[in-house]
Amino acid sequence: MSAHSSESTTPRLLVIGGGFSGLTSAVDAAEKGIEVIIVEKNPYLGGRVAQLNKYFPKLCPPNCGLEINFRRIRENPLITFYTMAEVEDISGSPGDYTVTIKLNPRYVNDNCTACNACTEACPKTIPNEFNFGMDLIKAAYLPFNQAFPLKYVVDAAHCDNNCKKACMEACKYNAIDFNMKPVTITKKVTSIILATGWNPYDANKIDNLGFGQIKNVITNMMMERLASPNGPTNGKIIRPSDGKPVDSVIFVQCAGSRDENHLAFCSYICCMASLKQAQYIREQNKDAKIYIFYIDIRTPGKYEQFYWKVKEDPNVIFIKGKVAKVTQDTSSDDVIVEAEDMLTGEKIQTKASLVVLATGMEPSGATMKVPKVEYTEEGFSISSNGIFAAGCSKYPLDVAKSVQDATGAAMKALSLKIHEGEEVSHG
Amino acid sequence: MSEEIVKPDLNFVKEVISSGGESLKKCYQCSTCTVVCGMTPDNSPFPRKEMLYAQWGMRDKLISNPDIWLCHQCSDCTAYCPRGAKPGEVLGAIRKMAIKNYSKPSFLASMVNEPKSAILLFAIPIVIFLVFMMIQGHFTTGIPRGEGGIISFSKFMPPIPYIDFLFIPLAALVVLSFVASIKSYWADMAKNYGKPTDADINKSITDTIIEILSHKKFSKCNVTADRKIAHLLVFYSFIGLAITTSIAVFYLYLLKWESPYPQTNIIKIIGNISGIALLVGITMIVSNRIKNKDKAGIGSYFDWLFIVIVYGVGATGMFAQIFRLLDIAFIAYPMYFAHLVFIFALFAYAPFSKMAHMVYRTTALVFAKHVGRDKSI
Repeated sequence: MSAHSSESTTPRLLVIGGGFSGLTSAVDAAEKGIEVIIVEKNPYLGGRVAQLNKYFPKLCPPNCGLEINFRRIRENPLITFYTMAEVEDISGSPGDYTVTIKLNPRYVNDNCTACNACTEACPKTIPNEFNFGMDLIKAAYLPFNQAFPLKYVVDAAHCDNNCKKACMEACKYNAIDFNMKPVTITKKVTSIILATGWNPYDANKIDNLGFGQIKNVITNMMMERLASPNGPTNGKIIRPSDGKPVDSVIFVQCAGSRDENHLAFCSYICCMASLKQAQYIREQNKDAKIYIFYIDIRTPGKYEQFYWKVKEDPNVIFIKGKVAKVTQDTSSDDVIVEAEDMLTGEKIQTKASLVVLATGMEPSGATMKVPKVEYTEEGFSISSNGIFAAGCSKYPLDVAKSVQDATGAAMKALSLKIHEGEEVSHG
Repeated sequence: MSEEIVKPDLNFVKEVISSGGESLKKCYQCSTCTVVCGMTPDNSPFPRKEMLYAQWGMRDKLISNPDIWLCHQCSDCTAYCPRGAKPGEVLGAIRKMAIKNYSKPSFLASMVNEPKSAILLFAIPIVIFLVFMMIQGHFTTGIPRGEGGIISFSKFMPPIPYIDFLFIPLAALVVLSFVASIKSYWADMAKNYGKPTDADINKSITDTIIEILSHKKFSKCNVTADRKIAHLLVFYSFIGLAITTSIAVFYLYLLKWESPYPQTNIIKIIGNISGIALLVGITMIVSNRIKNKDKAGIGSYFDWLFIVIVYGVGATGMFAQIFRLLDIAFIAYPMYFAHLVFIFALFAYAPFSKMAHMVYRTTALVFAKHVGRDKSI
């Protein structure tokens, strides 16, 4: 990961965001012979996909796809990537941009061999953001066990002097360096792809669904981590309050999506995600009951077949009616949801050991905007000024369509090379 | 539900939309509203189904439906509605249409619903009271004063043969109108929603009255929880003012004692406490509406006309008294005149204005309890 120091005039693409869309754009462009810089704010590449347990509808783990991309990056000298980095400014015009990139200190240098000694010695623990705070990790840590780059990171803000001392003493390779400071670099690029992705909508904001107040109410992304072999429970789906295996799970669809008080749009993937997660639970417990409360089941295109398949399972019960009230059972750790079963016209209460809120995708632009990029009111990025938006920063998408979109964005960025900076049409 | 053929009444849909339910078509039937509603029964809950009926123009399923009155417009549904469809406002519009449907004569019902008739609504009492003044020669010989030269409204507009000769027949007509309306409303409810029951109707009536007196239902509102106190104040001030009026009748017709009465007399004490409660309550209602307008909606012309009338009654009554005591005739008389105009508007239009909600909601609550639809709380 050495920075290119020479500011050549050769075509160069900046990809903002190192998630699956950004990686795809980067690899596609680089394999067509263009130099690429990836800027990623996390200490690792892979973005949200890295947190997923399985893809729908094939239910295969996303690691293989990620690994293939990582290998293509490793093997391609045209790709440079910066983790823990943010684009601070963009100036210039298509074909001739100057970008300012801030590199935040990792406090771990290239000597790191990922030996884990610092983690073992580190006395401080912090909530594990990668697992949405469901477990604790040491302040010196590897983000997750297949993280790329395979390099540790220290959360210096939560590591006091004692902690720093312990970490440094434990490292035999002089890889920990607390003198690292934020560095700002500038780069000339000819085109830019924005692939800053999405964040799970903050379920704390949905005040009638109990998240943050009732222990056994989790989000769908938390369920991904719970079911994931490298998650906080090594893939065992147990509930947060008492670690009990779950025998009944309620999925609350449209939790904050299609709701003008929260996200006014349909997040596109949540129905498929819940249908998929129902399989996670059913695989672990053949008697588990799944209740899916929905307004409409939206499984676009061929995904409909997946819905039909799940519907065949008598233990997966679909109830038409949005959950609008969630309460704690008074005599157990179970959770009670309330909805109108619209097909019978009865207001019903259903109890389960775990409730999963199918929260939607908030575009990253809603909370963090990249300079010079145009955004819609909701925070979705708009391709303009020669900056091509890709993937979930632009609209809610699944992984497969993000990849297609990212390839399309790479094609558009490459066309700038052909025209040597001429204005090209884009959309 | 058995199979039935929907005959959409498109004019009904348009009327709901133009009566304050303009957000109706935004509803996408998710049923958040029925779940957050604290008033609805669990079986066949509202207001989700009402939104569908209204969208489809199913007039008959709404106008005579007691459920529209079980709704107290807490606006919890409106606040949580993901589409801004404002079920609370839509049901408010439907209630208004139900009043219009059942109240007689119906041309008066139309008048209280349209802003363009507002001038006429007030012009009627203004003309009546101007004629009364003219007959008495107030414009030529001046307004006679009471004993000791004080301002006396009973000299300005004597109960006999003016005030009481106007208001007593008027009250009788209002009662007749209400009786006729409620009879046909009850008949429709019984036809469409009645179930065989051995429940004692007297118990349903008693339970309803207790519920209204305690305002228990309002405690189930969350978003507009502050409405309880405001409505309670206005409600009890009306009772207080009714008591005041009864004492006045007693004084006048049995004791032959004409107003003004001393400030320390029981009639003045009850009247003034009620007057202040009315003004405080109605001010709270206005401020609550403004405060909650984003979550609950600001309300329709129909709502505001009633608020203006109630405010007018309270404010002019209080000011007329103050300026009478201060002996400032050029304000005291016009204030009292305005007071009479507002009182007229309050009573004469009661069967058609929002005032009628008192009668329709009470009737619907009794019916709903009687058929086991609404549980006593």
